[in-house]
Amino acid sequence: MSSRATEVAAALAADAGAGGQASESFGMWTVQVPVEGWRAALYRARDGHGLRFFDWLSAVDELDEGYRVVTHLLDPDTVTHLLVSTQLPLAEPRLDSVVEVFRGAAWHERETHEMFGIDFDGHPGLTPLLLPDGFEGHPLRKEFILASRVAKVWPGAKEPGEGHGSGPRRKAVRPPGVPDPAIWGPDAINDRG
Amino acid sequence: MTPNAKTADPYAGSRDTTEGRVYTVTGGDWDSTFAGDPVSEERLVVNMGPQHPSTHGVLRLVLDLEGETVTKARVVIGYLHTGIEKNTEYRNWTQGTTFVTRMDYLAPLFNETAYCLAVEKLLGIEVPPRAEVIRVLVMELNRIASHLVGLATTGMEMGALTAMTNGFRERELVLDLLEEITGLRMNHAYVRPGGVAQDLPDSAEGSIREFLKIFPDRLGGFHRLLTGQPIWQKRLQKVGYLDVTGCVSLGVTGPVLRAAGLPWDLRKVEPYCGYETYDFEVPVETSADPFGRYLVRVAEMGESLKIVEQCLDRLEPGPVMVGDKKIAWPAQLSLGPDGLGNSMEHVSKIMGQSMEALIHHFKLVTEGFRVPAGQVYVPIESPRGELGYHVVSDGGTRPWRVHVRDPSFVNLQATAAMSEGGLIADVIASIASIDPVMGGVDR
Repeated sequence: MSSRATEVAAALAADAGAGGQASESFGMWTVQVPVEGWRAALYRARDGHGLRFFDWLSAVDELDEGYRVVTHLLDPDTVTHLLVSTQLPLAEPRLDSVVEVFRGAAWHERETHEMFGIDFDGHPGLTPLLLPDGFEGHPLRKEFILASRVAKVWPGAKEPGEGHGSGPRRKAVRPPGVPDPAIWGPDAINDRG
Repeated sequence: MTPNAKTADPYAGSRDTTEGRVYTVTGGDWDSTFAGDPVSEERLVVNMGPQHPSTHGVLRLVLDLEGETVTKARVVIGYLHTGIEKNTEYRNWTQGTTFVTRMDYLAPLFNETAYCLAVEKLLGIEVPPRAEVIRVLVMELNRIASHLVGLATTGMEMGALTAMTNGFRERELVLDLLEEITGLRMNHAYVRPGGVAQDLPDSAEGSIREFLKIFPDRLGGFHRLLTGQPIWQKRLQKVGYLDVTGCVSLGVTGPVLRAAGLPWDLRKVEPYCGYETYDFEVPVETSADPFGRYLVRVAEMGESLKIVEQCLDRLEPGPVMVGDKKIAWPAQLSLGPDGLGNSMEHVSKIMGQSMEALIHHFKLVTEGFRVPAGQVYVPIESPRGELGYHVVSDGGTRPWRVHVRDPSFVNLQATAAMSEGGLIADVIASIASIDPVMGGVDR
């Protein structure tokens, strides 16, 4: 089973041209393809190698290196499966939609679009899927700050000594995902003075 | 009346008057959905949900109808979006189980196990045999509970209310067992990276054996009540059709795929947790309709009973958590007067005897353990299909990214394929047979 995955991964990487690369980690093969060859690579995987079962598609924020889009494909006949990924630039991340290759990719691309701000060219309807209308920002980006716990604190006492009005108070703990008030928020020290 | 300011509410445009600001609330996204003349047009647009007794949770459907025939079915989701994937990035690896168990809340133990298998793969550790058997045991009990809710809600949505009350009644039997084992009826956080939180209580084996005695008859009750019943058959047969090709191109798995004729079950196809050593069958039907999916679910409960029995027979005494004190969460739990917590024995050990144990405890609880950098994808067979965790670590004490391939999310995409061209009454049967859990769909 894994030997066939090795072959398919090597073939897909070779066909992808200069940017193609196959690597194995934790028993799973990952094929890296260049952005331009994304849709073509998925066509080849489906028609040339029998990976006709589309499993899922998502992305990983890799900070300065940009966004990595990952998809998992599977051949149900031989139980061969591997990850195909591509690296998008941080500025204006765009990628060809693969809905024409796999119908099931439609919701995954819509989710990835709203969560990471990645545009999928050729998607039949790239509207928000999970987030409410008028939501601003892309929550799964690392730069997104979970600010609602700052705007409205959780009710009740969270720290020992809170609410008793006596004794030395401990330093208030910031909610997870909220940066130091010195660098973010109304009291932030910034260049604008 | 277009909202121009960035902060304006999309459904309530505002203008300033001498008496202050006046808001005009409009009908949601309805204007853009239905622009035609409602009197002269044949087409009828019906909104179902998100609060509707037959949409299986907070699911909203916008259906275009011509007469009673559905010409277009649009599914609107997101009403239960909780941002769990994002939240896991801010908690340590062990705390992740507490989050993921809340996604597909009818299959909490599957979420926990899949997540822990992914973390353990990154750590390169193997859990003790007893922990693995306990995991399989609680997962199969959980599968029975989940399928019972699936049957119960299908019954309710088809108007078979006795099926609903029976389904929830039998589910209580399973939930009582899970409560006895884990302490909670749902959202257990019982499976942890490295094993399970605590060993089975002494009384558990007896209670499970008692359950194994009475449940087969209760399962037969569904056949007696529903399987041969003409109304049940007429509502579920030859509607909501989706064949193997359709399933594969949309990524549909679980009972929907098996009812279409493909014996695809990850417990057999790519075994994990030692499933290859258990004796059980994968029930398959070929009708590809909701009735076939119903039969598959009932048959799967019978197979789960077989696995539970085998688990009890092979339970050997031993640890339920890995020996590595740098990973094993210090949870020698006991029930005290103030609830479940670390046992006095453990507290006195770390406070009075072992400096090293105290350091491990402190490091683990405040910071958590580190997981080597890399990415893994681990799929398991949940009651609704392939539940997979794509976990990325940067080598730190918290996940860098956790993506969940939830079967409900993927399967729900098949709604349009199943219901367009059919009657509106059959839309209900189709969705009920997918058995989506919105907590898993929206995450």
